[in-house]
Amino acid sequence: MNFFNSGLFWFIEGIFACLVVIGIKIWMEDRGIPMPYWKWLLFGLWILFLGFTIAFIGTNIGEKEVTAAVKGGILFGLISIILGVGLWRLLLIKPKRNS
Amino acid sequence: MKSIKLNIGKKFNRRQFLKASGLASAALGSTGLGFFGYEAGKNPESYTGWENFEGANQSFNRKRKSVDHPTYEKIGSSQRPDARTEVIFQRRSLFMRQWKDDTGLEGLDDYLQEYYRKRPEDLDLDLYSMKELMPKMMSDSRKYRQKFILSNAWSNAMGAVSPRSTNEPPEKSDFPSRRRFGGPTEPEKMKSPELTSNLIKKIAHELGSTLVGIAKLNPDWVYLYPMRGRGFEQDKPIDVPKHWEYAVVVGTPMSWDPMYANPNYGTSNDAYSRSRIIAYRLASFIKQLGYAARPHTPGTSYDLMVPPILIDAGLGEQGRPSIVITPELGNNFRPAIVTTNLPLNPDKPIDFGVQRFCKTCKICAENCPSGAISFGGKVEVRGYLRYQVDTAKCLNFWNSTLGSMGCRLCVAVCPYTRKANWLHKTALKVSMNDPTGVSDWALTGLQKRFYPGPDPQKYYMPSLGGENASYREPPWWLKAEDFIEF
Ligand code: SF4
Ligand code: SF4
Repeated sequence: MNFFNSGLFWFIEGIFACLVVIGIKIWMEDRGIPMPYWKWLLFGLWILFLGFTIAFIGTNIGEKEVTAAVKGGILFGLISIILGVGLWRLLLIKPKRNS
Repeated sequence: MKSIKLNIGKKFNRRQFLKASGLASAALGSTGLGFFGYEAGKNPESYTGWENFEGANQSFNRKRKSVDHPTYEKIGSSQRPDARTEVIFQRRSLFMRQWKDDTGLEGLDDYLQEYYRKRPEDLDLDLYSMKELMPKMMSDSRKYRQKFILSNAWSNAMGAVSPRSTNEPPEKSDFPSRRRFGGPTEPEKMKSPELTSNLIKKIAHELGSTLVGIAKLNPDWVYLYPMRGRGFEQDKPIDVPKHWEYAVVVGTPMSWDPMYANPNYGTSNDAYSRSRIIAYRLASFIKQLGYAARPHTPGTSYDLMVPPILIDAGLGEQGRPSIVITPELGNNFRPAIVTTNLPLNPDKPIDFGVQRFCKTCKICAENCPSGAISFGGKVEVRGYLRYQVDTAKCLNFWNSTLGSMGCRLCVAVCPYTRKANWLHKTALKVSMNDPTGVSDWALTGLQKRFYPGPDPQKYYMPSLGGENASYREPPWWLKAEDFIEF
């Protein structure tokens, strides 16, 4: 059993995920941007896809499938970036203020 | 100095610390995922293997995909196969012994004549193998011997230990002949077929079998005319013995790295030998309970066709290359069977989507150098609708490559034959549970683009215009040039 296969690894990943969520929450609060549940949901899905992309590249390098790592990295990486930019714009939407 | 400290203290408050921690965690978490993936791809624990005892590698929940009828279809009146002509190794060896140029077809046994009259294309292929391929293979093997010294040595080592093949008729060999001291003089009274089945499966796993399943034996799968050396009278139809009631199927995979370096570095001998030993041990176990048991094992010690029994026993489904695909090992495994009258509870067949996936996929057909795998649909074979592989073309390709005998490319390239890590398990789950079939198309497209192999022509030996190519690099321990001074 290697560390990256272990329960401890996922425990630490869980702590990191919590810290990311807390960091984003505070960052958004500081800028007065509300984070309703649907924003968190979209953000969570994007994180999952990004995580998939990173793990996909790593797994294929581990399997010595370089073509898959490169092609998959480009394909899924591009999708992650495009979705990420779209999501970022969505997250930054502020409610209109009464003048 | 003081002001800087104050500045830092002021700027880096609790909220900012948490924001910075979030950023750092995002970076560390992503890096961790990359390493997790790398480990998942590299770790030998993901090599679907036989080493994991206790049955841990038979991890698929078959109950969720079990069906009442097998995924092959009976469409006409069934006929039992003739091992002498339809099992390619049997036919070739008989043909090579009997063929003489001056007598031609007339010099062969009647049943061979009849077979070749019905299938003249097989006569051409068998002749081509004998007259052209074998001599070329001999001379190329001498020329390129060095490259494959280790793979040949390894293949032979794996085949070196093997139980003596059952070569007596069933009524003699299948029953416990001599009761051991304290052993049963009568068959033991088993409490229930369910409990016995659990016991037999556990024993098979303990003996090292990766997969085990139980089927009620369908007599359609028993050869009409036997293979040589199995204790049956040659040229006399087999009367299916009454005590062949159940078939216990065991199976182990071929070692991952050599299999993935097919056609020139892999071997079937590893899984052949393991499954064979397990079957003989299991037969011995059953006999010591006082029941009849007969092993049917690879390479050529069978009295029955194995793939349909695997399907009946719920281990998998037939794929396009006509071999069985399982959820755990894909088609990277070699089975053996024990027929018995020990009362057992048969498993149900499963349907996890292979029939539909193979319709779209065709990757094995595209990569098969010999053209033995059909791009078309299923055909009727002896009353059953199924995929059929052209075994004569296939074996001719085996005789067109060097290294340890065989090809197994259709094993290496199949999307179901993948390491047991999160990536491929997820792909399997998606394909299995998608009722639309869209994922078949998407996964096949990704598979073809992400995991390409060499041009099939390159797999041939040099005298046939090839380059001795392998699907993937051989493992370091089979690269002879790194160990031997030439
Ligand atoms: S073993 Fe090789 S030649 Fe035979 S069917 Fe499979 S890919 Fe084709
Ligand atoms: S490679 Fe594709 S078509 Fe061939 S057996 Fe595997 S899934 Fe079926």
